[in-house]
Amino acid sequence: MGMVTKRKKMHYGDTHLQRRWRVRNRRRDLDQIDDDLRTRSGELINQNVDLEKPGFAQFYCVHCAKYFIDDTAMQAHFRTKVHKRRLKALEIEPYSIEESERAAGRGSFQQAKKRGMETQPTKEEVIAGKRIKVEEKVETTAAVSTPVASTSSTRATRNRPQKMET
Amino acid sequence: MRIETCYFCSSKIYPGHGVNFVRNDCKIFKFCRGKCHKAFKRKKNPRKVGWTKAHRKTAGKELAIDPSFEFEKRRNVPVKYSRETWQKALEAIKKVTEIKQRRQDHFVMERLRKGRDIEIQMDVKNVQRNMSLIRSPAAGLKERRAKEEAEEAALMEEEDLPEEKITYVDARELEKRLEEGMGIEDLEMLEA
Repeated sequence: MGMVTKRKKMHYGDTHLQRRWRVRNRRRDLDQIDDDLRTRSGELINQNVDLEKPGFAQFYCVHCAKYFIDDTAMQAHFRTKVHKRRLKALEIEPYSIEESERAAGRGSFQQAKKRGMETQPTKEEVIAGKRIKVEEKVETTAAVSTPVASTSSTRATRNRPQKMET
Repeated sequence: MRIETCYFCSSKIYPGHGVNFVRNDCKIFKFCRGKCHKAFKRKKNPRKVGWTKAHRKTAGKELAIDPSFEFEKRRNVPVKYSRETWQKALEAIKKVTEIKQRRQDHFVMERLRKGRDIEIQMDVKNVQRNMSLIRSPAAGLKERRAKEEAEEAALMEEEDLPEEKITYVDARELEKRLEEGMGIEDLEMLEA
């Protein structure tokens, strides 16, 4: 034929992902964000002017740990899937080093709690005194507690003979 | 010397193994091997990764809450050596591990037993639903039909019975007998 057909590359590798996963590109972890939400959400929403940051650090999403250039950009972000997904991820108590030790058998393992999570209040509301609240959901904890109670009761009955042996 | 636990999979890290990652807020994350370190870098949630201890305990696959887990603890104050406590501790460790093992095994067996019960229930249901595959609905149809016919016939006979019996008697003979002087009643008696 004479014509040289170029081989089509179907696989483009994961270099772009590897770059994102490099430690230097590491963003705030979920447990850090959780800490922010509980302790210093007010300061983060209402920051001092910082000329180095995008939008002079005036438009900050606490849940996503992200700066925006203006209010419209931030409002648009609140409507995106990325933000909603992050809210969903933060609904469950984040994993921690303590939990990894509990899972290894140092202390009883505790089921992760579920919390209510909503988009942050506006700057004016924060100045007026409103803060992000991280509260456990009542109905989910009740649902979780019932099987735990049943297992503990069965365990109590089961423990007795073993104690007798020892 | 201390045996650490992996942040991701909660396995033991013996000295000289694994990687430490110190985050910029001074928290130290310890990993037992490259697999766990890589998963952490990819921001995987250990609760959702099947091979980790955190997943197995959240999913209820292993014994999670038990007083036997309260013995092992991170103690940052060293205990002064004494031969007696050392011996006692060794014995206690053996006993505790034995009890813990027994409880964990028991938990797993209980969990599996539930599955067995469900399996049996499902089997019964399956048989009931697909009974036609085991025993054909047409099986014994002929006999059933024959029986029905027999019953019908029996019914018919019952219906026949109340009808009067007609007996045919030769007219001449009857006359002769009447002449001899026997009544009709006597005749009937004779026949019976």
